[in-house]
Formats: sequence, C-alpha cells, structure tokens
Amino acid sequence: MGGRKNFNYLETEMKFIGLLLAVCGWLLPVASLTWTSSLAARFIFALIGIALCLTGILGFLNRAYAKEAIWKK
Amino acid sequence: MRRKNLNRIIRGFVLAAYFLCGVPVWAQTPSQPTTSTQAAPAPVLNAPFPVKEANPPSAEEMAKGDASGSLTGNVNDITVSNPKVGLTLADTLNQVGQNKVAINFVWTLITGFLVMFMQAGFAAVETGLCRAKNANHTMMMNFMVYGIGLFAYWVCGFALQMGGAAGVSSLGGAAPLSGEFALHIAGKTWGLWGTHGFFLTQGGTYDVAVMVLFLFEMVFMDTAATIVTGGCAERWKFAAFAVSSVFLAAITYPLFANWAWGGGWLSQLGANYGLGAGYADFAGSGVVHAVGGLSALAVAIIVGPRIGKYNRDGSSNAIPGHDITMVLIGCFILAFGWFGFNPGSTLGASGSLRIATIAVDTMLAGATGTFGAVFYMWIRYGKPDASMGGNGLLAGLVAITAPSGFVNTIGAAIIGLIAGVVVCLSVEYIDRVAHIDDPVGAISVHGTCGLWGVLSVGLFADGTGIGGVKGLFYGDAGQLVAQMIGVATLLGFVFTLSFVFNLLVDYFVGQRVSPQAELEGLDIPEMGALGYPEFVLKMQGPGMAAGTA
Repeated sequence: MGGRKNFNYLETEMKFIGLLLAVCGWLLPVASLTWTSSLAARFIFALIGIALCLTGILGFLNRAYAKEAIWKK
Repeated sequence: MRRKNLNRIIRGFVLAAYFLCGVPVWAQTPSQPTTSTQAAPAPVLNAPFPVKEANPPSAEEMAKGDASGSLTGNVNDITVSNPKVGLTLADTLNQVGQNKVAINFVWTLITGFLVMFMQAGFAAVETGLCRAKNANHTMMMNFMVYGIGLFAYWVCGFALQMGGAAGVSSLGGAAPLSGEFALHIAGKTWGLWGTHGFFLTQGGTYDVAVMVLFLFEMVFMDTAATIVTGGCAERWKFAAFAVSSVFLAAITYPLFANWAWGGGWLSQLGANYGLGAGYADFAGSGVVHAVGGLSALAVAIIVGPRIGKYNRDGSSNAIPGHDITMVLIGCFILAFGWFGFNPGSTLGASGSLRIATIAVDTMLAGATGTFGAVFYMWIRYGKPDASMGGNGLLAGLVAITAPSGFVNTIGAAIIGLIAGVVVCLSVEYIDRVAHIDDPVGAISVHGTCGLWGVLSVGLFADGTGIGGVKGLFYGDAGQLVAQMIGVATLLGFVFTLSFVFNLLVDYFVGQRVSPQAELEGLDIPEMGALGYPEFVLKMQGPGMAAGTA
C-alpha cells in the first residue's frame, strides 16, 4: 500500500514537472524578446523553448500517465 | 531626279531621328502639373448624371427578353437615392463601393458554407475509422460538436477572438469590433483578448460585417473542435465530450486565435520586435489544426488507450476501422471543403485575386501529401495503405493551410510532400513509442502537420503573397523565428490550457466510459441505440465471447 502511494506521488510529480516544462518552454522564447534583439539568440531561445515543451509533454506528462495505463494493469 | 530622291532620304532620316530621339524625350519629360482648375471642372457628386449617354435598353427591349444576357444589369439598376434629382455620380460611386463589399460578403459566406460542410467529412472519416459498435457514438459527437461549439462561440468565443479586430477593409471595416484588452510591457502593446461582440450584440456588434465574420470564424472554430472527437473516439464519455467542447470553443481556441488573427500579440511580433511580418498563419494550420490536434493529444493522454490496443509488453495491436469507403469519401468531402478554408481566408474576392494561387496551392499540397504517405507505406510495408493515403491527403491540406497565402506552387508541392511522410512517421511514433491511442490519427494529421505548416511559412513564403510575408529561403530569418514562437505558444500554452481544462472535466464529470461499456461498444450504453441495428457485430476484447451486440 505504501509502495503504491509512493508510486502515485512520483506520477503526480512527473505530471506537474511536465506541465511546468511545457509552460516554461513557451515563456522562454516570449521573454527573450525583451532580453535580446539578436535574431540568432531569439532563434536559439525559440528552439530551446520548443524542445522544453516537447520534453515536458511527451517525456514527463505522457510517461506519468503511461505508468498507470490500462494495459499495464 | 537624284537630288529629289536624296532630299527625300534626308528628310526621312531627320523625321526618323526626331521620332527616335525626340518622342522618348517628350515621353520622359515630366508634364506640367495640371491643377483641377486648369482641367475640366470637377464633377459635382450630387448633380444629375446623364443616364441617356449610357444607352440603357428601353422597356420595350427588356420586355422581349434578354436571351444573350447583354442587356440585363445596366445603369437602370443603380439605386437612386433621390428620385427627384435622378441618378448622380454619388449614387454611382456608392453603388461601386457596395458592390465591392457585396462580392466579398458573398465570397466569404459561400466559402464559410463550404467549411461548414467539412463537418460531414470529419464525421465520415472518424466514424469509418472506428469500429461498427461505436458508429452512433462517434457520429453523434461529430454532429453535436457543431451546435455545442456554435453556441459557446456565440456567447463569448467570438468576442474573445475577434472583439478587437476592427479594420477588416474587405468587409467594409467591421468597425464595432474595436475593443481589445492589452497589456503594455516594456513599451510594447500585447493584445490578449477582445472585449466586443458577446452574444453578437454587445458593443454595437449587431452589424452585417460582424455577422459575416462570425459565420466564417465560427465554422473554423468548429473544425478545431471536431478534431478532438477523433483522437479520443471509442472510449470518451459523451457528457465529458460536451463539456470539453464548450471549453475549447469558448476559451482555448478564441484566445490563441485572437493572438494570431484578432490583432493580438503574436500578430504584432513584426511591428513590435522586427520579426518578419509577425506570426503569419494564413488559414489556420496553427490556429485551427494544431489547436485541435494538441487538444486531442491532451484528452487522449488523460483518457488513455482503448482496451485491447496495447499488450502487456507494450506492443500495439492494429484496430482497423469498419468502413474504408466512408473514410475516403469523407476525405474527398474535406478536400472539397478546403477550397473554402484557404481561398476564403482572404475574406474577399474583390481586390484579392490571390485566391487563384491559394486554390491551386491547396489542391497541389493535398495531392503531394497523398503521394508522400502512400509511397512511404508502400516502401515500408509493401502495400499502399488506404487509410494512410487518406491521412496523407489531409496532412498535405493541413500543412498548406498556413502558408497557402504566401507560397508559390513549388513551395506548396514540397510542403505537402513532406507532410505526407511526416504524418506516417508521427503516427508510428504516437502509436508505438509514446503509446498514445489515436484511433483516427488526428494528433498526427492535425497536430504534427499543423505545426509543420506553421514552420513552413517561415521557410517557403516568397514575399509575393498576402502581406508580403517572406521566409528564410527568400531572405527573412526573422519570419522563421516568429513562426517558432507561435509553435512554442501552441505547445506550451494551448496544450497546457487544454490539458488543465480537461483535467477538471475528468475530476467533475469523468472522461472515460466504464470498461464494460467500452467492450460492449458505446452505441447502446452512451447513446441508447446502435448505429447499425440490423447488423451482427462481433464482440472484441479480452474475456469477451463472440456474439451479437
């Protein structure tokens, strides 16, 4: 029972981190508009932002849900 | 005699030299500016116009019938404001202006009707790709999303999206849409949402141009809403679908659409930060398709895969749809409707003759998208898969939606071809690596290829299209950065907002049907009637014996 609780706690954490990464991935390139006027820097920030979003959604959020997927039970 | 001939020849040379040198000089010499007082007196706008000089057909001629069509439509048909004065120049000019806007009204309305008919295409594609035991349920989700989405969009979605979008010159201005809530950060204006147009009456929006805009934008929103039903088909609770669709139509879609189309901050990235022409999404690869596809991804993650889709070792099972003919007919309906989607996004035909290029780009990208998907499947699996062929067509069309107003035909063909291959790769990744169950491929077709369409604007826009948008391959890297910020916004904001909303729906309503209902098929448990009551359906799933449903 305790193991199950830890397992759920980990999943909830993963979900939260996933959403946080996705939001940060959006805010980073948007905020960079005010930090720098360099096109190359803005391009890199946008690229990092997209990578963060995808990592958050597919790497954390989806994996957290996959841990408790119906086909694993 | 010889002298006479010589004189003639010399005169000829002189004359020729005069014309060769003198005339061009005369042509290039700036003419003396003529003032209105020197020229003919300016026509008095309200003075009677000499109608007889236009030679209108007589009443007797008209009474004989106009078989050739050369008499109908003449000066007599111009509306006269004051019958006592008769036709004036002012009447004529007003008629010209109204005719221009009328052409644009008719164009926008008819293309909007075409987009509305795409709902039938989506219904056919999604239902055909699902199992027969869920036909009623899938069809009803596609049917009801139209009314649910329309209602929510009328209440507040349209106002949030277009409430500050005044200045639509092709439709006469739509002046009442003049309220945009904006923040002022670091000396720049960041438009966030519109504030005029709730219930299509608030803020003086009981206006004909606003009505045209509402109809056209509503059917676009409904396209986004109906995409979600495909990604979550065969296990989504009908009540949850209804509430989720309200959220999408009222809040999620309108917010992003405002930022891109309603004068919001994304569209101002060019003016505020020098990034090309700002985020450019001509007909909605991002606004419509990526929003729908990413919302489908959010709900599909929450709902989870169908029973029987994955084995305990993680390998996936193909669950074929029940009617491939319905799927491909639906794809054709969608391709037809896309001629409303993309060319209609000019919001006018008069003064927007780019519609011809947009229409050709649309059909080309659809064709090359089909090629890309069919050839990929043929090479990889040995057969030209029909359902992926259909998805390839849709992928090409989705991808060309954003760039259709900005690219030439070569660019359109390449964009479509890449989309056709990308959709196959994405379907494989979503299905086998991410273990996300998407019965119709909505996440890949609309989400992945929608994002590709947004990025392709930043690469292939050639600078000759609407707004002079120019991509990286034509010398403007800033446009690509603007498009990438749009992609990050779709992934980071739209997905997250949609996910959180649907998490709330899951908590209060419950997103997924019971395992028993899912195995039985959702037609009876959810809808109370079978889609095919006279057919014998085979039960599928672990622990279920074959029998009738």
